[in-house]
Amino acid sequence: MEAHALLRREGFDVSSYGTGAHVKLPGPSLREPNVYEFGTPYKQMFDDLRRKDPELYKRNGLLPMLKRNSSVKLAPQRWQENAADGSFDVVFSFEERVFDMVVEDLHNREHALMKTVLVINLDVKDNHEEAAVGARLALDLCKELEAAESWDDTIDEIVPAFERQHRRKLLYSISFY
Amino acid sequence: MAATNPRSQAISLLVAAKNHNDLAVKLSSLRQARDILISSDPTVAAELIPYVADLQDSPDSLVRKTLAELIGDLGLMVGERICMLVPVLVAFLKDNSPDVVKQTIVSGSKLFRNSLEDIALQFLKFGKVERWLEELWLWMMKFKDAVCDTALGPCTVATKLLAVKFLETLILLFTPEANDCQAPSPLELKEGRVRDFNMSWVVRGHPILDLAMLTQVANNSLGLLLDLLQSSNVQKLPTSLIIVLINCLAAVAKKRPLHYSRVLPALLGFDSDTCKGGHSVSIQHSLKTSFLGFLKCTHPVVLSSRDRLLVALRAINAGDVADQVVRQVDRMVKYAERTARDLRFGKDELLAGDPIRKRPLAPDDGADTNNDDIPAKRTRLDLLSSPDQPSQLINDQLPDSGLINGTSGPASLLGSEMTPVQQMIAMIGALLAEGERGAESLEILISKIHPDLLADIVMANMKYLPKGPPPLSTRLANSQAASPWPPGLASDLIPSSGPASSSLNSPSLDACASPSLLSDSKRDPRRDLRRLDPRRISTPSGTQLASMKTEDVSDVQTGSNGSGSLSTPPTSPVVTIDEERAEPLVDRVEPGSLDGAIASPIGNITAKEKLEPIHEDLEVEPVSELPSSSDLTVSSLSTNNETHHPKLDETEVDDGKDASCLKESDENSSAVPTTPTCEEIPHELPELPPIVILTEEQQESLTKTAVSRIIEAYRQVRLTGSSHIRLALLARLVAQTDANDDIVGMLQKHIIEDYQHQKGHELVMHVLYHLHSVMISEEGTDFSFDDSVYEKFLLIVAKALRDSLPASDKSLSRLLGEVPLLPASALKLLENLCQPDASDHQGNELRNGDRVTQGLGAVWSLILGRPLVRQVCLDIALKCAVHSQDDVRAKAIRLVANKLYHLSYVSDNIEHFATNMLFSVVDGEPVADGKSTYLDPNEQRLQTEETSASGSQSSAPDILDCVEKVARNVPVVSLSQAQCCMSLFFALCTKKPSLLQLVFDIYGRAPKAVKQAAHRHIPILLRTLGPSYSELLHIISNPPPGSENLLMLVLQILTEEMTPSPDLIATVKHLYATKLKDAAVLIPLLSLLSKDEVLPIFPRLVDLPLEKFQIALARILQGSAHTGPALTPAEVIIALHGIDPEKDGIALKKITEACSACFEQRTVFTQNVLAKALKQMVEQTPLPLLFMRTVIQAIGTFPALVDFVMGILSRLVGKQIWRMPKLWVGFLKCASQTQPHSFRVLLQLPSPQLENALNRYPMLRPPLAGHANQPSIRTSLSRSVLQVLGLVREPQAPSPSLSQVSTHTPDAGSSVQSGSLDFLSTRCSQNGRALQDEEVSRKGLSGRPPPSESFNCSTLPFCAQAEAAGGERKREVWGRERRSPALDGRFLNPAEKFFSKTLFFMGTFSLSISISLVAHI
Repeated sequence: MEAHALLRREGFDVSSYGTGAHVKLPGPSLREPNVYEFGTPYKQMFDDLRRKDPELYKRNGLLPMLKRNSSVKLAPQRWQENAADGSFDVVFSFEERVFDMVVEDLHNREHALMKTVLVINLDVKDNHEEAAVGARLALDLCKELEAAESWDDTIDEIVPAFERQHRRKLLYSISFY
Repeated sequence: MAATNPRSQAISLLVAAKNHNDLAVKLSSLRQARDILISSDPTVAAELIPYVADLQDSPDSLVRKTLAELIGDLGLMVGERICMLVPVLVAFLKDNSPDVVKQTIVSGSKLFRNSLEDIALQFLKFGKVERWLEELWLWMMKFKDAVCDTALGPCTVATKLLAVKFLETLILLFTPEANDCQAPSPLELKEGRVRDFNMSWVVRGHPILDLAMLTQVANNSLGLLLDLLQSSNVQKLPTSLIIVLINCLAAVAKKRPLHYSRVLPALLGFDSDTCKGGHSVSIQHSLKTSFLGFLKCTHPVVLSSRDRLLVALRAINAGDVADQVVRQVDRMVKYAERTARDLRFGKDELLAGDPIRKRPLAPDDGADTNNDDIPAKRTRLDLLSSPDQPSQLINDQLPDSGLINGTSGPASLLGSEMTPVQQMIAMIGALLAEGERGAESLEILISKIHPDLLADIVMANMKYLPKGPPPLSTRLANSQAASPWPPGLASDLIPSSGPASSSLNSPSLDACASPSLLSDSKRDPRRDLRRLDPRRISTPSGTQLASMKTEDVSDVQTGSNGSGSLSTPPTSPVVTIDEERAEPLVDRVEPGSLDGAIASPIGNITAKEKLEPIHEDLEVEPVSELPSSSDLTVSSLSTNNETHHPKLDETEVDDGKDASCLKESDENSSAVPTTPTCEEIPHELPELPPIVILTEEQQESLTKTAVSRIIEAYRQVRLTGSSHIRLALLARLVAQTDANDDIVGMLQKHIIEDYQHQKGHELVMHVLYHLHSVMISEEGTDFSFDDSVYEKFLLIVAKALRDSLPASDKSLSRLLGEVPLLPASALKLLENLCQPDASDHQGNELRNGDRVTQGLGAVWSLILGRPLVRQVCLDIALKCAVHSQDDVRAKAIRLVANKLYHLSYVSDNIEHFATNMLFSVVDGEPVADGKSTYLDPNEQRLQTEETSASGSQSSAPDILDCVEKVARNVPVVSLSQAQCCMSLFFALCTKKPSLLQLVFDIYGRAPKAVKQAAHRHIPILLRTLGPSYSELLHIISNPPPGSENLLMLVLQILTEEMTPSPDLIATVKHLYATKLKDAAVLIPLLSLLSKDEVLPIFPRLVDLPLEKFQIALARILQGSAHTGPALTPAEVIIALHGIDPEKDGIALKKITEACSACFEQRTVFTQNVLAKALKQMVEQTPLPLLFMRTVIQAIGTFPALVDFVMGILSRLVGKQIWRMPKLWVGFLKCASQTQPHSFRVLLQLPSPQLENALNRYPMLRPPLAGHANQPSIRTSLSRSVLQVLGLVREPQAPSPSLSQVSTHTPDAGSSVQSGSLDFLSTRCSQNGRALQDEEVSRKGLSGRPPPSESFNCSTLPFCAQAEAAGGERKREVWGRERRSPALDGRFLNPAEKFFSKTLFFMGTFSLSISISLVAHI
């Protein structure tokens, strides 16, 4: 969501999705996460958590995050159910596991449009600070891709250059809509 | 009017797009025109095509691009005019703007697919194809070729990506989908609503589409892609292209398993490292994703390459993920199977009328809360054509392990169950539904289905068999005759059920039933056989199911033919239609109600699947809408949508329906005139019970009946040649019933009954392999297939084979050799077979013996054939080889030594084991029993007997050994134990003589029993070894310390029965010469040695213990057949006397003992022999030390030699015997003992010596004087002699001596009994007579003149006199002897003492001599 917010601010047409079965937020302990269905509005989660333990969730940054998220969009969405959202040019994932799921999901869709989509993975640790860094990086990469007339032709240069510049490893794949 | 406006509007816009100066205007004009064209009437659009085509020369690339897009959008809606536009596309492929090319490929692809579908469908629908489509197709092929060129030629990466994608699409289009070759039903055709195009839609004989050609194109295209990936300049390809290539190939392989075998090697062989310039991580990741995708695929072809995939994945460090995926897939498959099995119950729930619980199969994870969010994609219900469902499900599950998330819940779960079997069932159903046209394909399809798969299909259906056949078969038969719908229409294989599954009803597989269904089912409902199915009314019972089934099967063809004639004009009321429509669905939901046939699980699944999403927006729609759509030609989408609901409702309603109203409703059905609403249906629709719920018992009995029928059917099956299917079927049945006891029992009986002829073995193998595969596939998952089922079945069969077949039968062995897995219990069974329990072996010893052979045979073949259990089997064999039962042991040893030992992979083990066993007994820890044992008294006695039995050979030390051990109460290994443990080793020795060394090594320290055992084994061993004993020679030449006894034994055996080789002789001689100084080793060889060889060692032989010397003596005298004895007896005696005690270092006593031993053998050392020897010896100078002793002995043994001895004595006188003091003593002794015969010799002595003699033996004087005084003799004597004798004056002391002696005698002991004297004398006389005879016979031989006549004659009278003389005088003589100083010993010099001892030793014989002497006086 961090990246979503940032990219949107930068004028990109962005959507964000989860790939899991549920939306899971940290709970009082590792074994007691807060689980919500996709589609549950952030506002509702916010209220729920605030009711449960405002101190805890304020401290661990969940409440601020949910508040920000609710300003970005209504509710979390699920990638596997986004067929109606149309085709994207680039898909970012911040964890290889997610990358795999996205790639596989795309492979399994019907490729009627014959429109290429670039799927990029940029490993980012799942915490507030790293998310901010990751969002920046994603933005940079998007800008570079945007700058290229057709990423299909230049991806072989963009990715290595990005890796060198930011000392980050990327992983990418190409699928179709 | 309405048409003109848009037309002119469009024309003006198109003109503007062509001619306007502003690009923006051009584009917007073109887009507007496109909108108009697309939304306007096709005929109008067609008219405008020339204008559109006119734009292709536009200088603006954006215009051209938009034009390309427009062409794709317009597509086939403009009819034959499209043929004008396709050339434009082809031309655009060469456009210099990449964007135009890209858009062209996209549009072209779309058009390509649409054309293909249209061409195929048109033929399906109308049986012909419009001419223009042919032209279009030609253009499309041209387009295809141009794209291929693009893919290979120089162009931008983006273009290439699309070209590659196009090729992928092409391959997918042109390759039939193996698991889903279901042609679209007329229903769908009508609607124009088709799912993914599939090559199987293209039927044979299509005027345009040549199947072979299309396949060729697909293959070529695939080749093109593969070439791209494998080309040498792959490293120059951009990463993105490589990734796309990999992804496309993977998609092809996954979606079309036909190509899998081509694609997989290419991907496996692709080395991502070769792309130096590219982003190899991403490439590798693509490969990984592809492989994982394959792993998730459950197609058999793909499954078979699982191992390779796993290897590849591990190589790129994705092993963990791969394993996880494999587990997931396995779990899914299993879950699918389980679900299929449980489907019944699920349905029950469904029928229970709980509309919320419409996903009875959903796992209870509370995840299905967002059912509403089911993606649009998933609502596509044609699961059959979406093979990617399973993987997606897995995908969904991966992140939340254990959680099956709501969206992909039951729906996709069920989708994932589309195993090949189910897909095949669906396919068959579809073909059947096609009626006549499908029949041919069906035939081909079935003939090509793998038997296993076919069996699975039947099995899958069997689960839904009704419990019994319809009771009223006659009624059915009637109806059959009367009805145009033969009951056989509902074939076993029709998943979508009964007679209603005509070509028009078959879309029941697809939930989206269409109005055409209605129109087709407008026939008279009363003709519907299902109504006539008695089971719908009465509870099924009876046993005619089987016959019914057969009929059904045979009628399949008829049925499908019959379905072709369904063009009954729609006349029935709506209600009928509704009902008709409802029925197929109902049937699908509850296949148990099928017409004597088997319902398909796929039916259930699809029905459920389809119900589910529909439920979500379930709104009751009035059925009254339906009639409007009951026109064959109507194909409106909206109608289609609406049809879902009523159908669903009916289904629901049917589910909940009470079966009691069935009959009623049956009658009502045709009569209800009004259009019922959904709510009314339950009450008014005449419906039959959709479900026959079987009780547990019924299910069981049904299963049993089915199995028994399959079993019994073997004869027919054999005739039809499809017995392999039967086998596969039975195998699955057993697995599915978890090897239910009854069924297994039945099967076992059948198997055993005629094991050979009825292919019992094959059947067992089938069952076991199937069970095993089930077991394997469920390993490591949560689903617990009872592992013991396999084991149980195997054991049952094995035991049955063991108990029912003769022991000579090899079936058991074969069974164990070929089963997929040998559990420990099976091996245990085998072991018990090999080692019959000691307790039960008395009764059937013979039988057990054969069993042991059988068991060992099996063990042998297992060792040969099953490396995995080799060690265990070897252990069994080895255990048997030290078994306490002789029979078992002997057999096992034969096996181990003769068959197994030469197998290089076990020989070490065997040797090791045998050696261990050997050591175990040697070191007093018998392993065989696992405990050391103390000798019990019986054992001890036995051992003592043993010892005495073998004692004659060399067991003296053994006795000591034994005694010693018993005394110390040391744990002693019994002989039998020793034998048990050592037999194997000795058997091995025969195969590997070098092992013998060990026997020799341990012999020294081995306990007695072990030695005995060795003694028993060695002879057998040596005999077996035969002449090839070079190893043995080696051992002999260097025997380890302590093994002498064994060595002797070995030598003895070696020389006993055969002539030992010169090598052996040489070896032994060498051994004797170098290491082992014990002459005993030579004993066995003595008979083979020559005189020259024996003589040097003779003293050593004498030095041996007396027993050994005796043996040696026997050997020497025995000689060999060829050479004769090494020494004659006379030579032996001479050799004995030739020994010099001092020089040879041998105690004199030894020599005397040896001599005595010789004398004991009177038959060998006859008097003749002695005479000969003495005669020779007397000539020797110096005389042998023991000469005189031997002479005395000789005469003692053979009194008849007396005369000869006198000759010897006079010869000695001639040799001045008095000069040899030792011999002189002996001489005198001899003379004294042989008086009066010796008088003549004595008188030959010179006077001083005579005096000496008389001084020594004073009692000689009187008789001698008496003798000399005889006139004839006295004259010949010299004066000095006479003087010595006192015959010439000097000291007169004549006869009083005799009286003096006599007076003394009465005091002497009277202990001598007359009886013994009588006896002695008798013997003397006998001897005398024998001697006489002998003398007579040998007169000619003796070199010396025969003894004087007087002597010979006198012997006989002597005996007579002796007898007549009476006891008194004899007693005197005896007493005198006893008192003789000579026997006293006090006054004797050493030599005298020696002689006296000898005399004493000689015992009774010498006594008789004295007697005779006395008596003569």
